[in-house]
Amino acid sequence: MRELGSWAGRAGAGFVRACAVAALSMLVPAVWAGAVALGIRWGAANPWSWTAPLVLACTGTLALSRPLCRAVRFLVRTWTATVLPAGYRRAGPVTRMSTGQWWNGFSYERTRRDALRDQKWRLRWCDPATWRDLRFTVIVPFTAGVAAAVPPAGAAVAVLWLGRPAPAARLAGALGLAAALAGAPYAWRVLPVVAARFLRPSRAMVLAGRVQELTAQRADATLAQAAEIRRIERDLHDGAQARLVGLGLSLATAERLMESDPARARALMRDARAGAATSLTELRELVRGINPPVLSDRGLLDAVRALALDSPLEATVTAGGHLRLEAPVESALYFATAELLTNAARHAGATRARISLAHDGTHLVVEVEDDGHGGAAERPGGGLAGLRRRLAVFDGHLEITSPAGGPTHVRILVPCASS
Amino acid sequence: MRIVIAEDLYLLRDGMVRLIAAYGHQVVATAATGPETLDALLTWRPDVAVVDVRMPPTGTDEGLRAALAARTELPGLPVLILSQYVEQLYARELLADGTGGIGYFLKESVFDADQFIDALARVAAGGTAMDPAVIAGLLSSGTSHRRLGQLTEREHSVLALMAEGLSNQAISRRLYLSESAISKYTTSLFGKLGITDDDSGNRRVLAVLTYLNNPNNP
Repeated sequence: MRELGSWAGRAGAGFVRACAVAALSMLVPAVWAGAVALGIRWGAANPWSWTAPLVLACTGTLALSRPLCRAVRFLVRTWTATVLPAGYRRAGPVTRMSTGQWWNGFSYERTRRDALRDQKWRLRWCDPATWRDLRFTVIVPFTAGVAAAVPPAGAAVAVLWLGRPAPAARLAGALGLAAALAGAPYAWRVLPVVAARFLRPSRAMVLAGRVQELTAQRADATLAQAAEIRRIERDLHDGAQARLVGLGLSLATAERLMESDPARARALMRDARAGAATSLTELRELVRGINPPVLSDRGLLDAVRALALDSPLEATVTAGGHLRLEAPVESALYFATAELLTNAARHAGATRARISLAHDGTHLVVEVEDDGHGGAAERPGGGLAGLRRRLAVFDGHLEITSPAGGPTHVRILVPCASS
Repeated sequence: MRIVIAEDLYLLRDGMVRLIAAYGHQVVATAATGPETLDALLTWRPDVAVVDVRMPPTGTDEGLRAALAARTELPGLPVLILSQYVEQLYARELLADGTGGIGYFLKESVFDADQFIDALARVAAGGTAMDPAVIAGLLSSGTSHRRLGQLTEREHSVLALMAEGLSNQAISRRLYLSESAISKYTTSLFGKLGITDDDSGNRRVLAVLTYLNNPNNP
């Protein structure tokens, strides 16, 4: 009895889905049927009367293709949890040149509006995704559309003919009912298959997207590096360098005062000593910010253990597997962990943290979990977004789970060859 | 005191040799690389050794490892680590074997020559000399933070100075308090932390440091 109930439920849901798929995929054929009807009405024999309907049908197909594909992707995602990446090209920035004209990546335009419109149409026309969508629009009525139309068509036949007295009509109605019932749970399943085959980005599109992503990452990395060098230069210039100049001055004055005013000379020399100690402290902080000594001495695991010791949190570190990585990756992971621990202590109000480092064969996985109040969100330009960008340079991923009320769990994955 | 100096920078090594000579102590050997350090420590068995953490040939924690290796060979060999930076991890490794004669200082502590020589003497006598930065780190690190919460502010500062290796007398001078007041504070804070009181300066420091180091304390 329960099996029957669950079958009925599946059949019901499948029937609704099949109706949706059939309606969606028959949109474009309906447009063409409408065009043909118009042409016949305006005189089937006269070839000129076909021009306008033809143009209308083509425009309709073009206009419908993108929303249709979007709807299909949405349905496939909701029903089967399969994500089909759209892979549309993204518009580049529109910038004003020194000549006063606007450059949109393709052409110069007089105004910003023109530039944006021109860019939009050029992107549409050049984008391989547009042609892929169009191909799918043509294919879908003959595949998923036909299959999905079986249950609603069978149901319609059953409703219309089952009640008639003629035995032939009754038989047809019964057959329709049988087709509707048998097909309902399965008919819509053709759509995910067809969509997966024809709606995924092609290799070339994936590659083009990847190139674009890498270009952006390279630009990011270069900018970050330049900013870092500027920071170091400024810190040296304002801090240690200035202090050393002052130290030299104090020593020169002390040298001059040695005979005439020994007491003042001694005081100056004491100042000089304090100045030297302060510049050392500053230089040390600077070095730690560029490359933590433990990291280069001992590698990532001990550097993270040192971080845990220095942290105001009660932090435990567990590790497993081979953890040898290239120096830039280790450095990125170290600073990421440091930032996460700081966030946990400063923003999440945590008292404990668990850090684990492990190698799962293809990735190095660093996990940081705290017992704070959660609610960590990624804001553009914020610390977590910066972290993600820096990890992206190494194809790393950042997964943040931080429900309000906590706990916050962050997982960092960096691909690396197993040793 | 017979002293071995292990430091790869010529200027600093030479400066320390002269400073130590000015205070009337004897530098019996110097070393500029990790293997040389281990060699010198085992051959000369000095009263105290001054060792830099980073040394050639690898330029990593070579000096620290040489000192630890020498101490497994000669337990209790007094070593004062002099480093460009203070690292809790290294301080804890040095303290791990629980015997005395250990120091860990920042290089600029030689600027205050009196204090430096004093620390050397303390380490040579089997005592402990820790940079205030190490103590501050140990006191503020997560594992000990909560357990120290029950101490009063005054007890906290007494504990910090005690962990540096100062005697009650020295602490009383540093804090401008009477010696009997200090001993009252030490008794109460030892009671709160569950450490058995002991008058010998070194064992007292070790008790404090072991306590701070061991995350499994109650």
